[in-house]
Amino acid sequence: MSPSDRPRYQLACALVAAGIILYIPANVVPVMTMTVVGQVEPLTVLGGVQELYDSGLAPMAGIVFLASIVVPFCKLAALSWLLLMQGSTAWQRQRAAVRRIVHLVGCWSMVDVFLLSVLAAVGQLGVLASVRAEPGALFFAAVLVCTLFASESYKPRMIWQTKESLPT
Amino acid sequence: MSASRAIEPAPRWISCPECEASCREVPLPPRAILRCKRCGVVVRKSARPTSLQPAWALATAGLFLVVLANVNPILTFDVVGNTQPNLIVTGVVELARQGYWPVAALVFFAGIAGPALYLAAVWYVVSACCLTRRWPQLPRVLKAAEILESWNLVPVYALATVVAVVKLEMLGTVAWQHGALWLVALSLCAFLTGQLFDHRMVEERLEKLT
Repeated sequence: MSPSDRPRYQLACALVAAGIILYIPANVVPVMTMTVVGQVEPLTVLGGVQELYDSGLAPMAGIVFLASIVVPFCKLAALSWLLLMQGSTAWQRQRAAVRRIVHLVGCWSMVDVFLLSVLAAVGQLGVLASVRAEPGALFFAAVLVCTLFASESYKPRMIWQTKESLPT
Repeated sequence: MSASRAIEPAPRWISCPECEASCREVPLPPRAILRCKRCGVVVRKSARPTSLQPAWALATAGLFLVVLANVNPILTFDVVGNTQPNLIVTGVVELARQGYWPVAALVFFAGIAGPALYLAAVWYVVSACCLTRRWPQLPRVLKAAEILESWNLVPVYALATVVAVVKLEMLGTVAWQHGALWLVALSLCAFLTGQLFDHRMVEERLEKLT
């Protein structure tokens, strides 16, 4: 790797590592509590998907499941793979394609944060209906920010910087 | 040196927008594309847009739509007679009030400030090109537009609103307000601006200006 890109690589590694650690609480801790006419429901990200699915809205559940669970996971996995393969000459074209897809699809994982924001805006009707954010939202948002900045910091040119191509 | 060699123009080398390999620019037949030999990304199309005016128009419209989408309520939620209108910023304020200001800041930046700044940056640069004015800080604003492109998340926000409405319909009555229309228009405008905004062409024009 060229020396000028080393800090970028290290930053991306640190962000991906932080993202992987935060991914666990993001999915275990509830992201919001919905109180509707006295019924209190703490919901995790997966719980929200489950609820949509149970009420017969399978396509919606599918979208949210893809955007807020599958996309962040795949993004972290793909970025780890790219970072681990750094400097190798294997699969370079495929790695470039994977990086492009990660960059393109990554932003859709923000759906869940925006969803929380819309629900929180609406849920101010006191006892009748209220939506409160829970600590899980912080972890979830942190995962998203980590992956966004990691994929921003890992430039595609770095895939092609191998030992052979650079004079040391 | 042979005579034919002397007539040939000197080869121009352009850098691949993705992997930054040097690619030799060759004259392209119509409807052909030049791909990077190393990473396979499209480096140059023969059918490039010839003008920046569509991008200019869309960015201008987008700036108006940002205002309209943010001052009009997007939906109203009604539980047993209690009605409440909602703006994009309502969610931000509410999250901040509950003490989750990092999440509020993220929503504010990605849902309101990001798209607005992106459109403003594109508008500034493209206006300067179209009006051939040497406004200050043009290269910096162009760089900012590149960075902000991935923060242009209005379409994602629109999808989240749809999911929220579906969820809320189980609990009460939800009615779309005209803010939702502006939001959809803004999504389209922001997306199309991103598609029509040709970085290379802007760079070339800016080089000519200065």
